[in-house]
Amino acid sequence: MEELKVDLENGTTQFIVVTLGEEEYGIDIKYVDNIVRMQNITRVPKVQKYLKGVINLRGEVIPVMSIRIKMGLEADEYSKSTRIIILKLEQHGNIGVIVDEVQEVVTLESSQIEKIAYDSKEERDNFIFAIGKYENGGLISLLDLNAVLVEKESV
Amino acid sequence: MDVSQYLEIFLDETKEHLQSLNTEILNLEQDSENADTINEIFRAAHSLKGMAGTMGYKRMQNLTHDMENVFSEVRNGTIKVKGNLIDILFQCLDALEEYMNTIQETGDEGTNDNEPLIKLLNEILDSKGEEEKPEAPPVEKEASQSSGGESLGGEGKWQGIKFDDTQKHVLKEAIKQGKHVFGLTVKVQETCILKAARAFLVFKALEELGEVIISNPPVQDIEDEKFDLDFSLIFISDSPLDKVVKAAKSVSEIEGVDGDTIGSEKLDTLAEVPQPPKAPVEAEPSPKPVVEPQIVETVSQPAPQPVSQPAPQPAPIKVAEKKAPVSKPVVNRTVRVDIEKLDVLMNLVSELIIAKNSLVSASGAERSASGFNEHIEYLESVTTNLHESVMKVRMVPIESVVNKFPRMIRDLSKKLDKKMELYMSGEETELDRTVVDEIGDPLMHLLRNAADHGLESGEIRKERGKPEVGSVFLDAYQDGNNVVIEVRDDGAGIDTDAVKEKAISKGLITPEQGEGMSEQEVVNLLFHAGFSTAKTVSDVSGRGVGLDVVKSKIESLSGEVEVKSKKGVGSTWTIRLPLTLAIIQALMVDVGGEKYAISLGSIQTIEDIMPSDIKSVQNKEVIHLRGIVIPIIRLNEVLDIESKKKQEDNLTVVIVKKGDRMAGLVVDDLMGQQEIVIKSLGKYITKCKIISGATILGDGEVALILDTNALF
Repeated sequence: MEELKVDLENGTTQFIVVTLGEEEYGIDIKYVDNIVRMQNITRVPKVQKYLKGVINLRGEVIPVMSIRIKMGLEADEYSKSTRIIILKLEQHGNIGVIVDEVQEVVTLESSQIEKIAYDSKEERDNFIFAIGKYENGGLISLLDLNAVLVEKESV
Repeated sequence: MDVSQYLEIFLDETKEHLQSLNTEILNLEQDSENADTINEIFRAAHSLKGMAGTMGYKRMQNLTHDMENVFSEVRNGTIKVKGNLIDILFQCLDALEEYMNTIQETGDEGTNDNEPLIKLLNEILDSKGEEEKPEAPPVEKEASQSSGGESLGGEGKWQGIKFDDTQKHVLKEAIKQGKHVFGLTVKVQETCILKAARAFLVFKALEELGEVIISNPPVQDIEDEKFDLDFSLIFISDSPLDKVVKAAKSVSEIEGVDGDTIGSEKLDTLAEVPQPPKAPVEAEPSPKPVVEPQIVETVSQPAPQPVSQPAPQPAPIKVAEKKAPVSKPVVNRTVRVDIEKLDVLMNLVSELIIAKNSLVSASGAERSASGFNEHIEYLESVTTNLHESVMKVRMVPIESVVNKFPRMIRDLSKKLDKKMELYMSGEETELDRTVVDEIGDPLMHLLRNAADHGLESGEIRKERGKPEVGSVFLDAYQDGNNVVIEVRDDGAGIDTDAVKEKAISKGLITPEQGEGMSEQEVVNLLFHAGFSTAKTVSDVSGRGVGLDVVKSKIESLSGEVEVKSKKGVGSTWTIRLPLTLAIIQALMVDVGGEKYAISLGSIQTIEDIMPSDIKSVQNKEVIHLRGIVIPIIRLNEVLDIESKKKQEDNLTVVIVKKGDRMAGLVVDDLMGQQEIVIKSLGKYITKCKIISGATILGDGEVALILDTNALF
């Protein structure tokens, strides 16, 4: 579990900034293996709703999940800018997550990352472990991938 | 430098040696006079000792050393092989295996000295005739290995070492401080396998006494094993020469150490004249112990390395029988291939097949010249061959797993106080490496069951007019695309009434259900979790876990297990495993616009059924087909998807079987047969039981593979 936490004490961390709905989220770049365009997803029956199915990534079969459904947002609308970010995690293997748009890569100093408390009632807030502050004053929510990927029956 | 890089080789070879010791000691029990067997045992024990010593596992070395002493006396004929001795030897093997397991898990041999065993071994040694020297102490023996100092080919080679001014300065300083400077040439035995490891140990031993200033070849080259049989050192130490030489010689497989003190004036001559023509100074201060010629002889024998696997037996052999006396151990020519490399190769083949599939679909799209088709046919034959040969690389005989069973049955026989013999056949049958690794435990469980529950005790057997010695059979053979392994006993068979009673008392079935059950159905109850019919829980089996685990393990390997039993005659457990798990022939079907693959192996027939032919029995849809009633499963319902067919349309039904049972799967359309590469859905998707994997089609799309067994 711990390995998913970003090492806040040590210098800078790079995040890929993605859009989900109206908000911007950051994904720690060290877990990102690849970013691919939206492609045909083969549905897998009898699985959790947020698991959209599997795709073929250069001969490997990779499960794809919808962060939006997992977070309780409305279902994805696929557009030209929709991307699948392939995450590489020891615990789960490779997993693709669908995001509305990939913006840029930002480098944040540890001083620019502010941890948040976990008492929020709102479900989507539980997927965030910290807030990143840009130099120009913008804010991004940094995704806690562990919380995003953990298996959940109820959704 | 670090010996851990050799750990894997060490463990592999230790396993082989232990297995060969187990087999040979069993043979020895049958035929205590067989010189070949005894020699083989001695060789294996000796290699084990040497390897353990190299790796620095002292406790393991001590134990094997004492075992070797006993074997040596057995070979000399001074100790007779008795049941008691065999038991102790087996205990020693168990202890060694324990060491090995501890090493495998922790990298360390643990702290168990196994002193009682060593004491027992020594008692055996002491109890024999007085005229023989009971033990050659280890030091003496090691010295004997290395006492050939005078015959060194590379003697005095250290005199060829050149040094630069700084080094010369360092050495001179050292001499001024009253330290000794030595030149040493260490020669390893020609038969030594891990030269670099030996050299490392020499360095380690020397560094306890002083400092190595220069080495020739350089240390890096020695670590990389880039040296012939000897290496030379310039060494500074407070200790006298003989102590230094002794330390270097204490490492086993070192043939000799040649060394001399270098004075300051010699330092100059050495540095200036790189290759002094004068006769090399012979310094051989170590005592030459008188050693038993026996030991020297074996020491000089080339240590057989991965030799010890017995040759594959072509015909079914009876293990319990005496082996032909002159069966010379044949070297099993094996190549150790990293399984990861094989997987890469396998993936390449997979991609090749995918490429072929895409070509096939391209040709279907536009009817082009016939030459194109020829190419495809060629590609097809190439990929099929490649697939086959790669599969063969992955195949290993089940021998490696079943070899330990004769020993197990022997132990069980003693423990349960029942006479029994194990007859094995088909050990050469090959299976995919991954399957072979997994199959050991289930087989062991079935054999234990047969020995414990299956076979009756000697008295009962006599009463029933059976031979007093019970027989357990383990037969393996290939059957089409499957490998079948049968575990059979001539015991009491399964007491179906007892099973029924037990199932009722455990609440698995109601008494009413029990009434209507066929014998086979009752027997299948045994595979339920938490079922054990042995009235007393014994050490061997009957803890209530087991058969259900056996079943789930076999099923996880895409195999199946069946049991047939006849009361009073015996039971047969049949395990059926697919030859390979990676590539299968499959039927592609369309369900509601989605493509699914069904393994051809499980398909019985394909039928076209009129909707009116579907009858309802107990609220379930069935069809009546050539005298058999088959339940119907509408795949679109199972897969949560809308069927594209209209209600009045004829149904396409794929009849699949699982063991003796059948079911009809209703699909929208058939798309044809294809060779598919099985890919896992990944660790993340675990909930979907009816899908056993996925495959990539010619157009790059992913199709799911239906696990028809899960539909029943």
